[in-house]
Amino acid sequence: MNLRRVTAVATKEWKETVRDRLFLLMSFLLPPLWMVVFGYGLVLDVEHVPFAVLDRDQSSLSRDYLYRFMESRYFDYRGSVYDERDIDRLLGDTAIRMAIVVPERFAEQLMAGSSVTVQTLLDGTFPLHADTLKGYVIAINRAFTQELLTDFLARTRGLVPEEARRFVEPVSLETRYLYNQEVRSTWSMVPALIMFALMVASPLLTALGVVREKETGSIYNIYSATVSKTEFLIGKLVPYFVISMVNVAVLWAIAVWFFGVPFKGSFTAFFLASLLFILCSTGIGLLISLLVRTQMAALIITIIIAMVPTILFSGLLVPVSSLSLGAQVQAHLFPAMYYTDVVRGSFLKGLGLETMWTDLFALAGFAVGLRLVAYGLFTKRPKA
Amino acid sequence: MQQYDRPSIRSVLSPQPSDTIVNVSGFVKRYKKDVAVDGVDLEIRKGEIYGLIGPDGSGKSSLMKAIVGVLTYEGGSIDVFGTRVDSERAAEQIKPKIGFLPQGLGLNLYPELSVEENIDFFAHLRLVPDEDLAERKARLLAMTRLERFRDRPMKNLSGGMKQKLGLICALIHEPDLAVLDEPTTGVDPVSRRDFWSILAELLEEKGMTALISTAYMDEAERFHRLSFFSGGKVLASGVPAEIRALVPGSIVTCEAHPQLTAIARLKTRFRQVESLGSLLRVFIDTTDESEAQSQIEALLGDLIPSSFRVEEAGLEDVFVALRLQKSESKEVSDVIADSATVHDRDGLAIEAEGLIRDFGSFRAVDHVSFRVKQGEVFGLLGANGAGKTTLIKMLNGILSPTGGAGLVAGVDMRMATGSIKERIGYMSQAFSLYLDLTVEENIRLFAGIYGLDKRSMSQRFEWIVTMAGLSGYESSLTDSLPMGVRQRLALGCALVHSPRVLFLDEPTSGVDPIGRRHFWEILTRLAREGNVAILITTHYMSEAEHCDNLALMYAGRIVAEGSPEAMKRQVEEVGGRLVEVVVDQPRRALMHLLQAGFHGTALFGTTLHVFCRDPLRDKARACEGLEGRGVRVISVKERPLSLEDVFVYRVMALERAEPSTKQEAAA
Repeated sequence: MNLRRVTAVATKEWKETVRDRLFLLMSFLLPPLWMVVFGYGLVLDVEHVPFAVLDRDQSSLSRDYLYRFMESRYFDYRGSVYDERDIDRLLGDTAIRMAIVVPERFAEQLMAGSSVTVQTLLDGTFPLHADTLKGYVIAINRAFTQELLTDFLARTRGLVPEEARRFVEPVSLETRYLYNQEVRSTWSMVPALIMFALMVASPLLTALGVVREKETGSIYNIYSATVSKTEFLIGKLVPYFVISMVNVAVLWAIAVWFFGVPFKGSFTAFFLASLLFILCSTGIGLLISLLVRTQMAALIITIIIAMVPTILFSGLLVPVSSLSLGAQVQAHLFPAMYYTDVVRGSFLKGLGLETMWTDLFALAGFAVGLRLVAYGLFTKRPKA
Repeated sequence: MQQYDRPSIRSVLSPQPSDTIVNVSGFVKRYKKDVAVDGVDLEIRKGEIYGLIGPDGSGKSSLMKAIVGVLTYEGGSIDVFGTRVDSERAAEQIKPKIGFLPQGLGLNLYPELSVEENIDFFAHLRLVPDEDLAERKARLLAMTRLERFRDRPMKNLSGGMKQKLGLICALIHEPDLAVLDEPTTGVDPVSRRDFWSILAELLEEKGMTALISTAYMDEAERFHRLSFFSGGKVLASGVPAEIRALVPGSIVTCEAHPQLTAIARLKTRFRQVESLGSLLRVFIDTTDESEAQSQIEALLGDLIPSSFRVEEAGLEDVFVALRLQKSESKEVSDVIADSATVHDRDGLAIEAEGLIRDFGSFRAVDHVSFRVKQGEVFGLLGANGAGKTTLIKMLNGILSPTGGAGLVAGVDMRMATGSIKERIGYMSQAFSLYLDLTVEENIRLFAGIYGLDKRSMSQRFEWIVTMAGLSGYESSLTDSLPMGVRQRLALGCALVHSPRVLFLDEPTSGVDPIGRRHFWEILTRLAREGNVAILITTHYMSEAEHCDNLALMYAGRIVAEGSPEAMKRQVEEVGGRLVEVVVDQPRRALMHLLQAGFHGTALFGTTLHVFCRDPLRDKARACEGLEGRGVRVISVKERPLSLEDVFVYRVMALERAEPSTKQEAAA
């Protein structure tokens, strides 16, 4: 291997990439842009759900009941209606996602000791959303009921409120969320988006960079020159590798300083994993570029190959462990999953090399494997 | 009587058998099921310039790529520098000694890199030592006059400059064998000549051997030896004189009226009959002048020929003759007179009056005026970027002019673009055909677009199929047609609504000589019988000879105008006669002649073309000077000017007059 030739290829590639405005944008603007856009857009928290009420009782107790919903950060009160048909209209327009109907004689019946039924109408269009919403409603409703009961017990048995509460709720539940105390989806999403941005941008860049030469015919300069396959492949990939490493730093900074996600783990593990992952992602790009002839084909195939498994099987949206068995097997066939593990582990769980070495090992395996296949596929004397 | 025997060039080069650098035997290349090259033999000797000549798709590129070891092949053998190129490992061994310039003008260069960075990249890839690189770079940049553009990004270079940069990059490591695939395609004649002289100098200086392909038949004379390619086979190989000797004959040009009757009579005996404006051009299988004349006169009968001239046959004529010998090609069907398109004979079809078009501060077309009569074939010549396409677009009503006026088929093009479109036909370089449709479907589609009713549609269909010689192809997919047939189909589609004026923008790029001749035959008949006015642009100078009138565009202006004959006469009056000198040391002779003040002297293989003001005196002066320097003059004779000579002479004169213009245009 001759370092001068590697440098010649790498320098040329670097200059071309930096001077071509489209490539430059793709290299340095696209990954942070994705991060910010998806970081905001892919928030799965259910908050500020618009709702309306139909209060047929109009008592102080019914108002007290409804007030608990209005106060909650999960709900946004949009007003009261006086006719059931209005609820249908508002739900249909998606002006509200939930409606609460308090029946007539709500306070009267409660005071009389009988039970009442409050009707909640939920927009079930997004089942996951509706489920979460139902959970909120149940929780608020239960809190209200318990308070009523506590008050009743305190009043009738002459207990202090503390004691009364113990009666009402003999087993109390204490929940602590680990790693992400406030259960913010941003915290779990943004680190994984580092993986997503790298997984799409660097194969794309690499594939287009190589296919561009095939398309114009400048690849014949390489074919006909004395530069070896290894020299060319290394020289060609170095700039894209450097660009991707710069992006890792930029994306890390955005995650920590812009989205405020804490980084608790080991820098070494994160850095090593990023390095290996970029070797994988550029390797995927290289592989694609060797199989297609036009930049258009490279673009489409890279997006399909990089996007679909990354979104579905990497743990970006759904944890791999809750996928079906078949999907889990597929997830293990792509490097994205291992890197997602490392990224989340380093950001949120504060893990280090000692726990994550298997992931790193897997990434290294992919990096080597992809290189070997690419080396085998690349020929300086093609058939056509 | 004049004989056309040339001294054998073998004696000049005197090659030894051991000098063989490339030996190709029984070479076969297939792309899946398509056979691209079918059994080709070739031998290239040290120090020669070997040419591969043939139309697009004839297998030249495949062979060249296989020789430089960047393409596998299916049959036969290739030996380069004594190494059998049959594996990637073997191919790597020969690569240090080879420089390869792939096809496509500037496509193998890196647009974002500057001229110097491009050269550096190739040099570093080839491990050229820094001191050698600096020295070679300086010399090559000076030689190609690219010195002042050292820092300009390659994407901002003109076609001719890209081509020269490509050459520098391919030769920066001073290979023993240079393989250049169509280095001159898409470049104007002036740049092409420049390129050839630089190349010849480089090759000679370093004792390089070169294998070069071209689609221009008129470049054949540049080679020491050559092979004619056609359909993946070699039609003929050898030195130009040997190839000429395969089909001995000469070219007779004369005038006879009515032209179409004369053509019909001549065709009863001769297969190569063309019309060049008002002239007829016939290939006759005899080199005897008086015999040729009597044969022609006998055939023409009561049509008395005038301005009779007999010349040596060009290599293109030989190529066509060889092709015709090999294949029993079906005779071209006669174009039937198109009753629908007979218009008044003397009307003006196109009248351009001071047309101007600006793009920002750049004036693409600058006060252009010309007239084209009905039934006239008018050729628009000029380098890329001279403003030809802009002009055509304005006359078509696609682009509005900044100033001036134009009448096309009697309609002011600014006023009524709709009515213009009914009267004009337009055929672009890219042939706007639908490749997934059959021939018939394409014709019917275009007929539908122009709103023909059912009856006239089927009439037109019949006419187009007969006119363009498409019978038998009606239900073939357009994609599967040979280029020449596809081009005739495009012409048919442009004629579907019986237009009075036809615009053709470089219609013959990539079509083989026989296809081009067939195409021109149709055009001539359309003009003569159908009385259609035809405005055509082409970069094949040999084709321009077919036009009745020509206009040469340069930097947006028309700088010369007239019939081909008149244009040649004008140049002969100013520049002098063209004399062809064959010598034993062409490089040395060229240097001397340029020093002695014979400007415009150009090297063609082993012959020199010299402009002489006073043929007798200058000829003697040149020969004496050469003999005095130990150059043996083998033969000297006058040669008729070609339109390419005219083009180059005109443009060079303009460039000398305003040296800054070209550089600005290139910027």
